Formats: sequence, structure tokens, C-alpha cells
Amino acid sequence: MALPVLICDDSILARKQVRKSLPESFDAEFQTAANGLEALTILRSQEIGLVFLDLTMPELDGIGVLEAIKAEHIDCFVIVISADIQPEMQKRVMELGALAFIHKPVNEEKLSGILKQYGLI
Amino acid sequence: MTNLGFSEEQRDCLQEIINVAMGLASDKLARFLNTFVHLRVPSIALVGASLIPAEFESRYRDTEAALVSQGFFGNEGVRGEAIVLYQMENAHKISALLGYDVGDVSEIEMLTDISSILTTTFLNGLAQQLENSLSYSAPRVLSSTNGDLSGMLKNTSFHWEHALKVDISYQLVDHSFNCDMILLIPGEAVSNIKTILDRILEAY
Repeated sequence: MALPVLICDDSILARKQVRKSLPESFDAEFQTAANGLEALTILRSQEIGLVFLDLTMPELDGIGVLEAIKAEHIDCFVIVISADIQPEMQKRVMELGALAFIHKPVNEEKLSGILKQYGLI
Repeated sequence: MTNLGFSEEQRDCLQEIINVAMGLASDKLARFLNTFVHLRVPSIALVGASLIPAEFESRYRDTEAALVSQGFFGNEGVRGEAIVLYQMENAHKISALLGYDVGDVSEIEMLTDISSILTTTFLNGLAQQLENSLSYSAPRVLSSTNGDLSGMLKNTSFHWEHALKVDISYQLVDHSFNCDMILLIPGEAVSNIKTILDRILEAY
């Protein structure tokens, strides 16, 4: 069965980069969100298995999304893909329950190891 | 961004590439200052270089300011000059953070270091994503105690046609620190950049 996946990033290029970096064997149904608020609307109303989440975004940033996911006990995996790569940011993201922290720009090599590790491919 | 013929897709692409490069530069700066830096999405704009002195005159009017300028050269005719502008008031905050005395001669040295970290890390990040590589000339520091920043900018930007303005704002944990980065580039570099952006867009 296809995995429902949400790609959340304010950049069109970044969203395309995620799609392009996923292996062909990855069976998924994709939705996109251009900021944190859009992402939460989707996460609150639908079952999403996996979220690719940017951090620096307008309206509501990725940290805000992670906090809401945690507070509302929304059941999904989150992989953060960020341009802000400071170690402290990485620590914060992992403490909020993200599965992994990937440095932008994303590519197949960076993603496939994590997806394999969690049995997603 | 004032577009100079950039399509919405090209603009989005350039903004994302700049965000990634700025993330690298901020990480370096945070390590140098041993602090955490709150990142905001930098606003970018492409303007005629002749407009630069007037654009910054009001922001830096009546303040003590410093300008650090560094040339860069790459493949495919990519070249230009990177300028970082500071209000000295901001520089003093950083000096204090690093334990320098205000007005110390080494403050200028510190500004040169910070500018070098910011511009070379930023430009290397940019170059890597554009599949280019850059070399740099030594940084040059011009400081202004009499508010003549406009004149300094006029002399520096005179030789160039276009300017890519990147408005950087760093919020340190308990201080705020703003500076402006301006990349001065020749006319042909703009069409080169467009070609490269299209190449990247085509790949996705």
C-alpha cells in the first residue's frame, strides 16, 4: 500500500528536490505544503505516515510544526531537511521527536540510508 | 525581488540556493562566535549597481559604518565583488562578545575576519550548488567615521552594472546583529546565472 507522505517547504525547488531524491521503489502518495500552518491543517485532518519538513518557513516554522505534532500526539514520522545546520538546532529537532536531520540540499544518497534504516524502502 | 527578467521559477531557485549558502555561513559564524544564531530567510533583490549608494544612504545615515569588500573569480565568467556593510554600533556588540575592547584596533581585524567567514562560506556554498569554484582576493576594509558611506559605496560600485542585495539579519541569543551583504556582478554574469538556474531547474 502506498505510504501517505507530506512534503513541507516554502521553496518549490526544495520540494522537487525531495521527490527527485526518493528511490523509484518508494511507494508513496504525495501531498505538499508551503508553510507550517498548511502542514498542520493536513496533519490534523488526514493520516500521514511520513513528513519531510523544512525549518525556516513563513507563517509557522518547522520547530512550530514539531511542537504541535508532539503536543497533539499526531502519529507520523518526521524527517527534517534544513538549511540551518547549527548543531544546537539539530539537537532541538531531535529532542522534539524527529527521526532524522538532513542538511540541504537533499540528495538520494542522504535519504536512502535513513529510509532503509527505518524500513521505509 | 526586482526581477531583471527572472522568471518566478528562477527566482524561487535562486532564493533556495541562497538560503542553503546562508545556512552554511551562519553555522560558521555561530561556531566562530560560540553562540547560537537565529536564522531568518534572507531577502534578496537584484538592482542596478548605480542605485546602491542611494539605497543604503538612509539606512546608514549619521552612523559610524564600516565596509569590507572582497573580490571573487570563478569559471564561466562568474566574477564580482562582495561587500559587507556594518554599523559600528553592531560591530561593538560583537567585539564585546569576543572580549575585545571597544575602539580597539583589533576591532577592524575582527570585522575583516567575520566578513571573510560570511562571504567566503556563503560564496563557496553558492558556487558548489552552481557547480562552480571560486577564488578570492584579500579583503579590504573601509571605515567611515564621518558618515560618508555613500561616497565609499559610489567608488566601489562604480565599475559594476548589477548588484545582488542579500539582506542578512542575525539574531544572536541575547544580542541582535544586522549587516548587509551586497554582491556586485557584471552584466554578463546575470545571464550566466540565468542559464545555470535553468540547467538546475531542468534537472528536477
